[in-house]
Amino acid sequence: MSTNSKSRSITNTETFPCVRCGLTVTATAPDGARRNHCPSCLHSQHVLDRVEGGPSECRSRMIPISIAVLRTGEWMIIHRCTRCGELTSNPICGDDNQLILMRMAVRPLAQPPFPLEAFGDL
Amino acid sequence: MICDMPRRNPGRERPQRRKSARHENTRHGGTFRCVGCRLDVPMSAPGTAHRNHCPNCLTSLHVDHRVPGDRRAGCRGRMAALSVSVRPDGEWLIIHLCQSCGGLSANRIAGDDNARALLSIAVRPLSDPRLPVSALLLTI
Repeated sequence: MSTNSKSRSITNTETFPCVRCGLTVTATAPDGARRNHCPSCLHSQHVLDRVEGGPSECRSRMIPISIAVLRTGEWMIIHRCTRCGELTSNPICGDDNQLILMRMAVRPLAQPPFPLEAFGDL
Repeated sequence: MICDMPRRNPGRERPQRRKSARHENTRHGGTFRCVGCRLDVPMSAPGTAHRNHCPNCLTSLHVDHRVPGDRRAGCRGRMAALSVSVRPDGEWLIIHLCQSCGGLSANRIAGDDNARALLSIAVRPLSDPRLPVSALLLTI
């Protein structure tokens, strides 16, 4: 099974164009996993219905809105569909744009709803 | 108290979604009990008309299906605060993850939400030892 999946990842040349930046992206990430967002702008497309579990008819652009860290330490990107508002979470890939990842991670601290000086002595 | 301090970036007002569910006349008397810390929480909250999580531990309950307030989810699992997102106008949103079915939801923070709990979620990616520091150096 492992050799089978490995050979498939090497021979898989399937690509998709990013719905936002137009970059032609390989459908398989370097680690062999299936990619679902553009590694350059991190935008995705709403093709899977999370609630019902089947293919979605929305097919709109999904914006990355947040970074979540699981208990395992894995980073997830939270996407929100621009048309229907659906939320999905997907693991990051090794070649994702780290500048955008960091920008999303520090975004809450750049615009805090309360002054952070109060936490200085904690 | 930290929560009573004035907001640094008030931004412009954004209209809230119309509220269809009314909680004042329910048998609970307009309160709900948090499934995480068992705190009795009043439905009325400063800054929002759509409180759905405990201001102390930020835990929520999976009762809505697709539309906020529709009460059509049969799950009723506990939803833990997963991450914090920021709207373009500077408003913070809490992303909740259902511990039972894996569903996600977003809700605006309320004025009396626990600031320390919010901040601990917000700095979680930055406290990761595998942080891509090289990306930060590029920006300087």
